[in-house]
Amino acid sequence: MMPNPQYERDRCVTGIRGLDEILRGGIPYGSTVLVAGTCGSGKTTMCMEFLVNGARAGEACAHFSATEPSVKLLENVRQFDFFDMRLVDQGLINVFDMDVLFSWLGMTKSTFDLTDIDAMVKSITDIVNTIGVTRLVIDSVTTLCYKIPSEQLIRDFLFKLGKALSTLGCTALLVSEITSSGAKAYWSSFGVEEAILDGILVLGDVERMGHLLRFIQVVKMRGTQHSRAKYAMELTRKGVMMTPMLKWGAAND
Amino acid sequence: MIELDGGIAAQLAEEVNPSSAIQVRVGTSNSFLIIASILQPLIQGFEMKGVYICASRRAVEIIQTLDEIGIDTTGITFIDTVSAGFIGGTETPYENVRFVDSPIMLESIMLQTLYHLGEHTDTGSFVLLDSVNALSIYNEGRMLAEYLHTFINTFRAREVLTAIVNVPDQTPPGVLANLDLYCTDLIDRGQVVIN
Repeated sequence: MMPNPQYERDRCVTGIRGLDEILRGGIPYGSTVLVAGTCGSGKTTMCMEFLVNGARAGEACAHFSATEPSVKLLENVRQFDFFDMRLVDQGLINVFDMDVLFSWLGMTKSTFDLTDIDAMVKSITDIVNTIGVTRLVIDSVTTLCYKIPSEQLIRDFLFKLGKALSTLGCTALLVSEITSSGAKAYWSSFGVEEAILDGILVLGDVERMGHLLRFIQVVKMRGTQHSRAKYAMELTRKGVMMTPMLKWGAAND
Repeated sequence: MIELDGGIAAQLAEEVNPSSAIQVRVGTSNSFLIIASILQPLIQGFEMKGVYICASRRAVEIIQTLDEIGIDTTGITFIDTVSAGFIGGTETPYENVRFVDSPIMLESIMLQTLYHLGEHTDTGSFVLLDSVNALSIYNEGRMLAEYLHTFINTFRAREVLTAIVNVPDQTPPGVLANLDLYCTDLIDRGQVVIN
């Protein structure tokens, strides 16, 4: 009997210090990953570094901003040494305002129905297909989901989006804003995102004697063995850095 | 003129290698003399660059004292865990000082150290931790022992020389036992003999 060769999925190497080691090589190609985190936990910075590292390797990248105007986003990330505005000028990082996208689509209603959701998924996948995007960030999917009135529609939206992006070979990070990262917390705002998507990265803070330490934890990642430990995280000028969190200090006081 | 401890330079030259973890035992009255006696041969003899973790005293105070002794501090990044403890403490004229909010943020100290060591890839590197006693004010023994275990192994794996300063009779016994176990070398100036 022939030995069963160990199957390894190709990886999207994030280039983020420590994260690829935690994921045993990177995110499996074509995965749609939820980046769930509390405010100030480093979600936007980490996602932008993910795009920058892809762009530096010649990949086409897209960032869909739903929480702040793209101009403001770019101004904020320019403080980091890892960011290079030329990548935007060269068209390797493409930044889109979701509000502008909605205007183009005539989606001016305060809530979205199934037709709107289909239009939104189609417009995003059209952009991905046209530009040949292989790395995508939506910041945040929570903001989009607030316009979707039922859990079933949110589930439909994320399922269709994830499936379409995966078919196109695009690895996507969907940012989710959560209010707590404690043991009993949900990993997403609506409680449905986490079940549908391929992976979950949780970012949050551990409080130690009145100080907040950022942490990151890979809760789920289909297609790879990975560490599920908490890692302390710092936002440096060169990008995100992580190191294993001390076991005696990993819980809140 | 301060006379440095020449025996330390000789010991460093004979015994240590780039991945050595040196436990440095000092007394309460001679600690800075011993630290300066370690830094001088590392910087001027071995032409190393490195990181000085300041938990006992403010970085500014350390830099000024080293300058007075004649030790060049431009190749050292000082990670100051003391000065953010009071308003205005983080104002400094020195460009090679970085601040961590508190000595309890041990992982932040580790990450800042790794970050700045990455700037010294062209030379041998060292990390000096000053001191275990100061860290033990803020961190309970088992967490500090875990940290030192990680600290020593992390830098040994990267071939970075570490010097860990402690006053042995004021160090928690469990922490001291761990240092005895994990450090590869010992500079023992913990007993000050008065003639």
